[in-house]
Amino acid sequence: MNFVIVLLALLGSVWLLAVVEGWTTTGRLRPAAPLLSGLAHLGRESIVPRTPDRVFFETAPVLLLIVAVLGAAVLPLAPTLVIADLATGALFINAALAYVLVALIMAGWGPNGAYAMIGGWRFLGQLIAYAMLIVMPITAVAMRAESLVTTVIVVSQDGLWNIVYQPLGFVLFFIAAMALAFRAPFDLPTAPGELGGGVDAEYTGVRLAVLRLARLTLVITLASATTVFYLGGWHGPLLPPWAWSLIKTLAVAVSMLLAGRYLPRIREADLMRWCWTLGIPLALLNIIVVGLLVLVVP
Amino acid sequence: MTLVLIVALVTGAILCGIGVYGALSQTNLVMIMMGVELILAGALVNLVAFWRFLHPESYSGQMFVLVVMTVMAVEMAVGFGVAIARFRAKGSVEMEEAGDLKG
Amino acid sequence: MYAQAFFVAVFGLAAIGFGVVVFRTSSMVRSALALLFSQTAVGCMFLAMQTEFLGVLQIMMMATEMSIMAIFMVMFMMDPGGMGGMDMTHQKRFSIGAGVVAAGVAIVVAFWADWGPVTAEAPDAAMQTRALGMELLGRSMLIFETAGITILTAMIAATAVAIPVQTTANSADKEDTE
Repeated sequence: MNFVIVLLALLGSVWLLAVVEGWTTTGRLRPAAPLLSGLAHLGRESIVPRTPDRVFFETAPVLLLIVAVLGAAVLPLAPTLVIADLATGALFINAALAYVLVALIMAGWGPNGAYAMIGGWRFLGQLIAYAMLIVMPITAVAMRAESLVTTVIVVSQDGLWNIVYQPLGFVLFFIAAMALAFRAPFDLPTAPGELGGGVDAEYTGVRLAVLRLARLTLVITLASATTVFYLGGWHGPLLPPWAWSLIKTLAVAVSMLLAGRYLPRIREADLMRWCWTLGIPLALLNIIVVGLLVLVVP
Repeated sequence: MTLVLIVALVTGAILCGIGVYGALSQTNLVMIMMGVELILAGALVNLVAFWRFLHPESYSGQMFVLVVMTVMAVEMAVGFGVAIARFRAKGSVEMEEAGDLKG
Repeated sequence: MYAQAFFVAVFGLAAIGFGVVVFRTSSMVRSALALLFSQTAVGCMFLAMQTEFLGVLQIMMMATEMSIMAIFMVMFMMDPGGMGGMDMTHQKRFSIGAGVVAAGVAIVVAFWADWGPVTAEAPDAAMQTRALGMELLGRSMLIFETAGITILTAMIAATAVAIPVQTTANSADKEDTE
């Protein structure tokens, strides 16, 4: 039952995000647009490029979708509304999201196209930049909660959300989450202007529809993770817990969207340099500060 | 319960065998490292099975699994470092062309 | 118990199957990703054996590790796509023999050894994570710290080995390596 509810919530959020994305780019609010464009994709021809690695080509979009849903499986919408409340939830979401890289490398290598392949390998470099900035802030969050269980992490933020308790960690995690979801300033693997779509380039028809759905699901999963780890999850006055979770998730997702619209695409070398020379020291500082706070403040 | 233990140990043994075959038969340094990774994966399966079915009260078993995972990571890092240096110097990391490493 | 044996066996077969694919395919990216899925299946075996933390950790670590393996394969192999049909093996008969002997000896030992009483109940997953943490920062702290230092040393050593050597003769025209 929980499985169906969480899946429906995920789909609904994806739909809302797609509507908002259309609104910010075209200036018109059309609630039916995502459905229509999805249907249109189903009707179009799904071209397979010449001499592809067929296994990778077919698997990649599905794997990306599965990975995004698996990541969402450990994130609670309400105290009992979670698909799997694992004892290692905060680690599991890392494990699931690590396979985004695998899916993108498959999507890059599979279609036997130059742009796609460059996009796929670019994401490997991007991973080396952002990976530590996903893991280290989550470490600090788990330190405060003294647990890896996601529901316990939310309960630990009762009264004081982690965004206030460890703002540095929030900023780093937010940026790294955008890089992991390859949203606009970090969309190196797709890079519409310079790579002609990158990993998206060779996908058409149904496969492209699945890929787009997977990307939006990934954004929602990461926004939900930000909510659970930093924005107090289901905590909030008046409204029922699940409503707060959804509102916060959508707010984070939309803010990722807006941040992407007004920032230029970053260069791979710059991303790597800033992440390693600035991001990782700050993340370590965050861990130290949180450790001191946990020890000093009762 | 011995059944599960035996199943896990046999899997570990076969993984180790495949790894030994790969490490000995491949000519490329990176492929040889993949063989070594498979050998270590076989070892990991055995270690976890031993911890789970024989000594679940002692966490040194899990500790040892972590150490083996560290060894896998270290092997990758050093192996790739050597591979890059070798490729720069000689233009290939093929074992057939590395006769000059013999003493 | 039979359910557990079933799942361990299924994931074990998957691990072995992907492990065979690693050395059977001629496409290097396929080879590296087959190794990745073999390791993932090993992680799933850990999960089936109720060792949750180690299983998730294995699944997480191997994704990155094997993807990096894939790009090195593409960089260093003469025929990364496997379209040229090159034979990248040597001493095949000896290797098959060695592999069969290694696996066979281990299997024989597994069946012959007296493993003694086998525990049916595994500790609770949350308890395991806690107890492992206590072990890491308690009795085994020195080992754990040594492992950390080893990784640091390996990182520095690998970087030092991989940085191009600057000889005095051509250092003038090699400024782009900076």
